Amino acid sequence: MGREIGGIEYTVPFTEPIVPEMSIDTASLVARLQNPDGGSGPRLGQPSEPEPTALAALALGDERARTWLAEHQREDGSFATVVGPYVNDSATGLGALALGPGAERERALDALESSRAASADSTAAIPIDESAIGWAWTRGTASWVEPTARALWALRVARPSSTRVADAVSFFRDRECVGGGWNYGNREVLGIDLPPFVQTTAISLVGLSGLDHDLEARGLDTLRSMWRDEATGGLSLATALAAFRTHGATADAREVRIELEHLIVETELLGDGVALAWAALALNAPMPTGAP
Amino acid sequence: MSRNIDRRTFLRGAAAGSAVALAGGLALRALRQQPERWEEAAFPSPGDGRVAVLAASDYDGPLEATVLDGLRAIGADVRGANVLLKPNLVEFDPTTAVNTDPRLIAASVLALRRLGAISVRVGEGPGHRRDVQDVVTRSGLADVLAEVDASFVDLNTAAIRRVRLRSRYTDLGELWLPTPVLDADVVVSMPKMKTHHWAGVTLSLKNLFGTLPGRVYGWPKNILHWAGIEQSILDIAGSVRPAYAIIDGIVGMEGNGPISGVPIEAGVLVFADDPVAADAVGASLMGFDPEQILYLSEAGRFLGQADRSRIEQRGEDPERLASSFAPPPRGSGVTAG
Repeated sequence: MGREIGGIEYTVPFTEPIVPEMSIDTASLVARLQNPDGGSGPRLGQPSEPEPTALAALALGDERARTWLAEHQREDGSFATVVGPYVNDSATGLGALALGPGAERERALDALESSRAASADSTAAIPIDESAIGWAWTRGTASWVEPTARALWALRVARPSSTRVADAVSFFRDRECVGGGWNYGNREVLGIDLPPFVQTTAISLVGLSGLDHDLEARGLDTLRSMWRDEATGGLSLATALAAFRTHGATADAREVRIELEHLIVETELLGDGVALAWAALALNAPMPTGAP
Repeated sequence: MSRNIDRRTFLRGAAAGSAVALAGGLALRALRQQPERWEEAAFPSPGDGRVAVLAASDYDGPLEATVLDGLRAIGADVRGANVLLKPNLVEFDPTTAVNTDPRLIAASVLALRRLGAISVRVGEGPGHRRDVQDVVTRSGLADVLAEVDASFVDLNTAAIRRVRLRSRYTDLGELWLPTPVLDADVVVSMPKMKTHHWAGVTLSLKNLFGTLPGRVYGWPKNILHWAGIEQSILDIAGSVRPAYAIIDGIVGMEGNGPISGVPIEAGVLVFADDPVAADAVGASLMGFDPEQILYLSEAGRFLGQADRSRIEQRGEDPERLASSFAPPPRGSGVTAG
């Protein structure tokens, strides 16, 4: 079945990978951000960094990007930016997925398994399950939704037997917003129920797939109900499409895909390397999957 | 709804029963007993500050003229300068007043150009939302910047450089700052006038959290929370050093700010050539005692002028324009009472 958007045909429902002659050549936009060293920066001309490089590697299946990752893998297997005493290793999950099977991936997975966010006390201001510990943006700090989702995605796909998978699922159960979906880190602060957002809900669903049916169902319903509200954002749409694809929600994916393609044509997602790579991955590339 | 306070209360610097003090500021209190935590060569003793407070009842009035008046009142000199305006753009919620209003940002772009700036761009690294495109579009900022032909730069993804800290309130030692911030001739901090449940108030100093790139510091600039919010405010402000401040208090936020508070029509704009002076006056206009906001009083030791006797007041009578913002909730790390 084909449909017309702006005179360019695409095919729905998509299979994996989506037809390579797909209308919007997001992959070429991502490729344009690739530096001579094989890595990608967050914007054109910027030095290569782990997150956009890992996403570009996933989106393009690019061997040079994988090589950059392998060359910049830290001794402990992680991918990180170091800021004074702080080590932001939140891209390690994406790096593990991008590397593909092999020794480097195993080292990245080892790093993920050994990395544990700092425990945070449950307080009246921020009530949490203290035992539900995920991953942090930065070593030694508390758990947040996005880095935990990335880590879970990698472990679910590449090392599903890891005991840390259960940790991550516990974290997402505890931090679920009222009604479903996820905020950045907490469900409640100072007596206020925090709202879910598209991007954080979507990346959580990508990570969680197949691990808790009811939790995912509520998250998907939430994502369905709110993605149009944030449809002016490329990263939100791209991750929403990735989530719907991951969960086989074909009709939802089709609608998001239309909006995302329009937005890319109109704005090129403002040249944001991470958003473009997510878009290229969600539109065109096989999503890394694995047995739950 | 605006709630004005009386002259005696304003002069005292705090609305009765609504002093904001940081319980989490105990570490800062201890710091103040210690030798200076800044390099003297980098921070000459603060001189006098100039602050202009102007009434502005809504965002649809002659804002460009009002901003021009305010900037002229403080003697803002941006002739030949490349200016970076740094507003508050945290996330978008149409039901409340989280962000610096886009119409005021656009008016400021025009006013700065009229004062001779050769370029004015708007830069922010939203602290909560990673999807900057969505925030900039839905907030209306993209449209108003298009109308005035001004650009927006996403500080979360801009190129960055490492900067050695010249103050030592955190143990970070260095910061990664966006080049649009470092390369600007003039940085104007342009916050929303609002409460902040961890820091007490968000004004021109706290607003500078948004200059740090999320892709390094996480969302919501998580490293800084662990390094100490008040301490981070001081170290960041000591690195960014905004030349001017424009505080959006036309509609502020009271109570559980910076996100979940309630809009309050304060009807005021604050202009200053010193961010510490701006925040001292701004806090007073909110009905809070600036000396009880410990990062602010500490900033007055080296970053700018917090001593009201050394702040030259221009524009309108601030006592007439002062409000009584509801403080952040108890139990938030901030005590009200």
